[in-house]
Amino acid sequence: MKNVYSVGQVNRYIKDMFAQDFMLKRIYVKGEVSNCKYHTSGHIYFSLKDETGSIACVMFASSRGGLTFPMRDGQQVVALGSVGVYERDGKYQLYASEIIADGAGLLYERFEALKKELEEMGMFAPEYKRPIPAYAKKIGIVTAPSGAAIRDIQNIAYRRNPYVQMILYPAVVQGRDAAPSIVKGIETLDRLGLDVLIVGRGGGSIEDLWAFNEESVAYAIFHCKTPVISAVGHETDFTIADYVADLRAPTPSAAAELAVADIRKLTEQMRQLEERLAKGMEKRLTDVRTRMEYLRGKLLLLSPKSRVREQRQTLMEKEERLQHRMETVLAEKRHRMLLYAERLKGLSPLDKLQQGYSYTADSSGRTVTRTAQVAVGDMLSVYVTDGCIRAEVTEISGGK
Amino acid sequence: MGKEQEAKEQEAKERTLEESFAELDGVLERLESREITLEESFRAYQQGMELLKQCNQKIDRVEKKMQIIDEEGGFRDF
Repeated sequence: MKNVYSVGQVNRYIKDMFAQDFMLKRIYVKGEVSNCKYHTSGHIYFSLKDETGSIACVMFASSRGGLTFPMRDGQQVVALGSVGVYERDGKYQLYASEIIADGAGLLYERFEALKKELEEMGMFAPEYKRPIPAYAKKIGIVTAPSGAAIRDIQNIAYRRNPYVQMILYPAVVQGRDAAPSIVKGIETLDRLGLDVLIVGRGGGSIEDLWAFNEESVAYAIFHCKTPVISAVGHETDFTIADYVADLRAPTPSAAAELAVADIRKLTEQMRQLEERLAKGMEKRLTDVRTRMEYLRGKLLLLSPKSRVREQRQTLMEKEERLQHRMETVLAEKRHRMLLYAERLKGLSPLDKLQQGYSYTADSSGRTVTRTAQVAVGDMLSVYVTDGCIRAEVTEISGGK
Repeated sequence: MGKEQEAKEQEAKERTLEESFAELDGVLERLESREITLEESFRAYQQGMELLKQCNQKIDRVEKKMQIIDEEGGFRDF
């Protein structure tokens, strides 16, 4: 038999056909969810149906970021994905990468329309933004009395500055009654003449936050005389209220930080200012004193008293020099004298006697230098250092 | 003249903490400049100290409880 194909070949052929189709690569499909199953693997299996039929869908765990709400049977959704063939079952299905609630899509359109309208009216214009006071003392809060938002605001505000008075208007922040309740809260607190208002709530779905996208709330914020900080949901949530408010806080906690000045910083700032003030004054005085000292010195230098002292000083110096000179001369003379004395000492006959020598003279006083000058029996005088010895010649030896 | 003085005092009373700080900055700048005379610097110093005193008085040091306002406009502790 010719032209017989295996199941696998056919399925692969069809799969390729689907894959080559441009439209099926990226397609939005609208329908009601049915047979929705969250598999333990993280994949979600479901069908989308309308009155004419249904299509099998799968959202793989890797695409789960594209789904931000818990999907349940009966919901109207729009799924974005590609349509492909699952060869094993010979079935085509939608591989969803993003799913949005259809209602949310409608809300989004309303949001965009109102945003555009209010923007064109100038309600978001920077010139209408009032500055948030840096040191608010009284803060009004429009939010639900229970829930994370008021707790966060209370904790952070108290930690930063427990002396700030906070007044809560317990508002309904979700559902049909929310917008009128928030509007009333803003108007009530505005009449109290507070420093700043925080208007907001904690995170939630776009439906939960919807009141903050209502026109009436936008107008209430716009007409509020007290500066308004909006604090709706999480950092990624933007509402109309955020655009109209004087300042948008990404979260209620952040709003508390923006509204309440840190008392420690404030105290520190004051301390520094005081220190600077004291230092500035001190420096000023030191400058003046230094300048005065300098001038005083200069003046003293020119006074007659100083002149006299100067001359006395000169005189003393001269006297000193004179004396010094005199002493030098004297010392020199003394030195020379000593030199002479030394030399004379070497020449003195007396000096020789010091070393055990003596000299001998005969009776008539002549110095005896030879044997021939004396005879036995002559009396001689022998001179030593301290006197004279009388001696008699008893024998003569030597001689010629 | 008397009225002017009064207005001035009123203005001082209603000065916010930020305005006082800004004014203090101005005073400090004057005090720290080289051109200022001694008399002026004394005046600036005195003015600065007065501003600081005002700032301190503006900072209320009484702990507050959060108040909740009801439909009739009455207050109670939250």
